[in-house]
Amino acid sequence: MQFILSFSLKDDDSGDHDQDQGPPKDCEKENIEDEEREQNSSKKKMVVPGAGEHPLQYNYTFWYSRRTPGRPASTQSYEQNIKQIGSFASVEQFWRFYSHMIRPGDLTGHSDFHLFKEGIKPMWEDDANKMGGKWIIRLRKGLASRCWENLILAMLGEQFMVGEEICGAVVSVRFQEDIISIWNKTASDQATTARIRDTLRRVLNLPPNTIMEYKTHTDSIKYVCLTCFIIYCLSFFLLLLRQSNMLPAVYLPK
Amino acid sequence: MSSSRQLSESRAIPTRTVLINDTTQLPHDYCTTPGGTLFSTTPGGTRIIYDRKFLLDRRNSPIAQTPPAHLPVIPGVTSQNILTENHKNEANNHINNHEGKPATGDDAQFEMDI
Repeated sequence: MQFILSFSLKDDDSGDHDQDQGPPKDCEKENIEDEEREQNSSKKKMVVPGAGEHPLQYNYTFWYSRRTPGRPASTQSYEQNIKQIGSFASVEQFWRFYSHMIRPGDLTGHSDFHLFKEGIKPMWEDDANKMGGKWIIRLRKGLASRCWENLILAMLGEQFMVGEEICGAVVSVRFQEDIISIWNKTASDQATTARIRDTLRRVLNLPPNTIMEYKTHTDSIKYVCLTCFIIYCLSFFLLLLRQSNMLPAVYLPK
Repeated sequence: MSSSRQLSESRAIPTRTVLINDTTQLPHDYCTTPGGTLFSTTPGGTRIIYDRKFLLDRRNSPIAQTPPAHLPVIPGVTSQNILTENHKNEANNHINNHEGKPATGDDAQFEMDI
């Protein structure tokens, strides 16, 4: 159940709540940990800045996730949807990754890039994110690439000045809009969230009247739960009507 | 060492007063540490801080050009060739346009380094 909720969390931003993630499976969690163990063992070396490179305050990891729109033929497990791209410890190493990745504005479908501190998974269940939240900014098409770049440069360059609070940043490409968000550890720390908001305004050069919204991860979970519940109720209701032959023909599945 | 000591005249520290009427008249690097930020102290202790311009300038160094080892191949997402354009010129243009009017249009973006 946990993993459905964590994946629906990302969908929450786009407003689409289709239930095609399938039933929860405990074995999914084990699969993810196995895969990460594999990934870690194949790259067991700690990422460190190379000679002559400029070190970052923290190491970071790029992740990529994608969900096939529509109903998949089989259940897509969470591990198939999110992949580590790689970790870096210096400015130059960052550019090596970033230059070899497509810009978010050119991504297709329902995709996300995540850039999180090393050791923090881009999921609300991670210890660093449990009590946290995120600022989200919805952008019309065409702005995501530049805003994402400015956001991550500010994050890597420690421009937010909130101590250890920053967890990571996400850019989400959706059907008619793009969303950038920055996650921090303590949703209740208003001084921190205010400072993050002010830094976002300073570094992002957003169009006027752009709305920034702060969501705690637990609030997002509640919203998803409520929406799921309503959808299930409606489905159940429609099923009852269908069985009692009270539905007009147009609602009957082919 | 001179045999006789002479006290030099005391003078006020020379200062220069510049009147500004608007925040746009602040120098580009007012209140920044070299390669640093707007804040004169770093809350939370010494941190490694880079500003946007500095990070962008590192992009063109040779060690930043080679593809990273173990880059996973995700078609349409990652590539062994350099995918993202060189932003050096774009960054320079932003700084040159710092004082100018922002271009009207949907993609208006100007660098504002107060």
